[in-house]
Amino acid sequence: MKNKRYLSLISAITVLSLLLFCFSATTFAQEKTRLVYMTAGDVNMLALGQHVIGPLYTEKYPHVNVMTVHTGPGNAGSQLIFEKVLADKDKAAGDIDVAMVHQIFLRWAMEQDLLMNYAKDINTWQYITSPFAKTSLGVNVEGYCMPMFHSQTVLAYNPKYVSDPPRNYEEIVQWVKANPGKFGYNGIKGGMSGVAFTVGWIYWKTGKYEKYAVTGPFEESEVATWEGAIKELKEFDKYVTLTGGNVATLDALNRGEIWIGPVWVDMFLTWRAEGKVDPDTRIILPEPGMPGQPMYFVIPKNTANPEEAKKFVELVTSPEFQAEHIVKRFNWYPGIDGNFIKDYVDEATFQAIYQDVTPEMLSKFGLAFPLADYFDAMLEAAE
Amino acid sequence: MNKNRSNLPQKQNFGKKQAVQGIKKSPAYLLPFCLLLPAVSVIILLYIQPFLASFWGSFFTRRGEFGLQNYKLVLDRYLIDVYFTFAVTIFSTVVATILSILLGVYLRLSQGWVHKIVSILYRLPIFLPFVVVAQMMRSFLAPHGILNLLLAHFNLINIERPLQLFNWIGLSFGFVWKEAPFMVLLIVGGFQMIDDSYIEAAKSVGANLYQIITRVLIPMNKQTILVAVTLVFCSLVGCFSFPYMLIGGKTPSTITIDIAHRVTYFRDYGVANALGVFSYLMVSILAVYYVLNMRKGLYD
Repeated sequence: MKNKRYLSLISAITVLSLLLFCFSATTFAQEKTRLVYMTAGDVNMLALGQHVIGPLYTEKYPHVNVMTVHTGPGNAGSQLIFEKVLADKDKAAGDIDVAMVHQIFLRWAMEQDLLMNYAKDINTWQYITSPFAKTSLGVNVEGYCMPMFHSQTVLAYNPKYVSDPPRNYEEIVQWVKANPGKFGYNGIKGGMSGVAFTVGWIYWKTGKYEKYAVTGPFEESEVATWEGAIKELKEFDKYVTLTGGNVATLDALNRGEIWIGPVWVDMFLTWRAEGKVDPDTRIILPEPGMPGQPMYFVIPKNTANPEEAKKFVELVTSPEFQAEHIVKRFNWYPGIDGNFIKDYVDEATFQAIYQDVTPEMLSKFGLAFPLADYFDAMLEAAE
Repeated sequence: MNKNRSNLPQKQNFGKKQAVQGIKKSPAYLLPFCLLLPAVSVIILLYIQPFLASFWGSFFTRRGEFGLQNYKLVLDRYLIDVYFTFAVTIFSTVVATILSILLGVYLRLSQGWVHKIVSILYRLPIFLPFVVVAQMMRSFLAPHGILNLLLAHFNLINIERPLQLFNWIGLSFGFVWKEAPFMVLLIVGGFQMIDDSYIEAAKSVGANLYQIITRVLIPMNKQTILVAVTLVFCSLVGCFSFPYMLIGGKTPSTITIDIAHRVTYFRDYGVANALGVFSYLMVSILAVYYVLNMRKGLYD
C-alpha cells in the first residue's frame, strides 16, 4: 500500500517535472532564438531594421527576436561586416545571421567563400529579374544574394534657374561653361554620387560601358586610354563647385548655391517627401547614363539559424513588403521586378517615383558600376 | 655649474647601485613589476603593437610585395595633402594657442558678471563632437550660409559673390572654434595656480599688462601651455570627420581623408599605413619636444 503511494507520488512528480521541463524548454528556446541582422548603409537602414523588419518578423514568427546592428554608410560599412564575417569564418556558428551589403562586399566575400547559396531555396526568387542579382562587379553571384532595393544616381536640378536641363554629358559640359560654379558634385573622395558621375564620364568618353561593366575582361592597356578623358574632367572641374558629400550637394542645391548636381534618387525623393528640398526640384538621368547599385541580403555560410535567416529575406523580398516599405516608405526602386509591385501601390506613389525618370529611361540609362578591377583603376586614374 | 654637472651622473649611479642591491635582497623586488604589468601590457597591446604593425604594414603593397612602393605613391600623389595637413594643423594650433592664452589671461585677471558668463560659455564647444561641429560649420560657412547671409544683410558682401570658406580657412575656423576652449580650460587652470603675489610684485615694479603676460603668466605656465598645444596638435592631425564633411571631395585634402579613401575604395592598407607614418612623423616632432621638456621640468 505504502509502496503504491510512493510509486504514484514518484510518477506524479516525474510527470510534473517532465511537463515543467517541456514548458521551460520551449520558453527557453523561444527566448533564445535571436536573429542578428547586420546592415551597412545610412541611418535609414538602421531604422528599417529596428522599426520595420524586426517587429514585422517577430509578429510573424514570435519565437524569434531580431537584433539589428548598424555599421555605417558606404563601402566602409560593408567592409566592417566583411571583417566580422571573415573573423567568424572558422567558428562552427558565426554571430551574424543575415547581412545587408553593397556590391563590393560580394566580391570580397565570394573570394573567401563566406556565403551561403540560398536564394533559389526561397519563394521570392521567382520575382527577381534584375541582372544585378546574377553578376555583381563582374563576379557571378547568382544564388548567393537577393537585392532588397535598387538605388540610382541622377542629376537633380532647380527649374527656377534651369529651364532646359542638359540631357547628356556633352550638354552638361556646355552648360557648365556657360554657368561656371553652378554645377556641383562631391569629387571622388566625397561619396558615391561623385564617384558615379566620374564613372559615367569615363563611360561617355570611351563608349566602352559593356566591356568595363558587363563583359570584361580587365586589360591593363585600357587604363592608358583614359588619360584624355581624365584631363578633360580636371578641366571641367575648374568650372564646377566641389561639395563635401552626397548630403552637401543636396544642401547646396537647396540653398541655391548650385543649380544642378548628381544625387542618389532615393535620398532626393525622401528629402522631397519630408519637405527638406524645394518641392519643385526635378531630376533627370543624362545619356549615356549614370551608374546605380542595389543593396543585397546575404547569409553567412556558418549562421546558427539558416532557416530563420531565409524566412527573414523572404519576408522583405515579398511583393507586399517591397511595395509598402521599400517603395512607399523609403522611396527606393524595388529589389524585385517592378511589375510585381504595381498591384500593391497606388498611382500617385508610382508617379512620384517614376515621374521624371521613367522605368524605360531607367532600364536604358541606369548603368552598373564597373567591374572591380576597372573600378579601382578608374578611381586611381581620376586621382 | 659644469663641475656639478659632471659629478652628478657618478653620484646618481652610485646611489642607484646601492638601492638596487638593497631591493634585490628582499622578495618585494618583483612587486613593482607586477604592479606595472597591467598598465604596461595595455600600452603594448593597444598602442605599441598596432603602431609597429602599421609601420611594418606600410612596406607591403596591396599585392603583398615588400618595398617602398607605398611611400613612392604617397610622395607622388599625396604629398600636397601631407603639406596641407601640416600647414593647416600648425596654423590652427598657433591661432588657437594665442586666442586661448588671451582668453585665459582675461579669465585669470578679471572679475564680475561678464567674467562669469564668459567662463561658462567658452566651455560649450568642448562637449560637442567633431561631427556635430562639422554639420554646424557646413551651414554656417556655406556660400549661402548663415555667415554670408548675415554679411550680405549688412551690405558687406554681395551674396552672388560670397566668401568661399569651404577650404583651409573654414577648416581652420572650425578647428579653432572647437579646440581653443579646451586649451583655455587647461591654461586657465595653470594661470590660477600662479599666486597673486607674483602679479602684484610685477605691478609694483611698474610692469604693464603686456609684460605681466609675457614675463610672468606665460613663463610660469609654460608646461601647461605645452601640454595643451601637444594635445590639440595631435588631435587635429588625426581629425577625420570634420575635414571630410567640409572639404571631402576637394584637392588638397587632409591625410585622414586620403587614408579613408584608400581603405574604403581600394582596401589598400599599405598606402593607408604609409600615409599614417607621415602623420606619426608630424606628431612625433611635437612629442619629442614635449618629452624632452617634461623631463627637464621633472628634474628641475
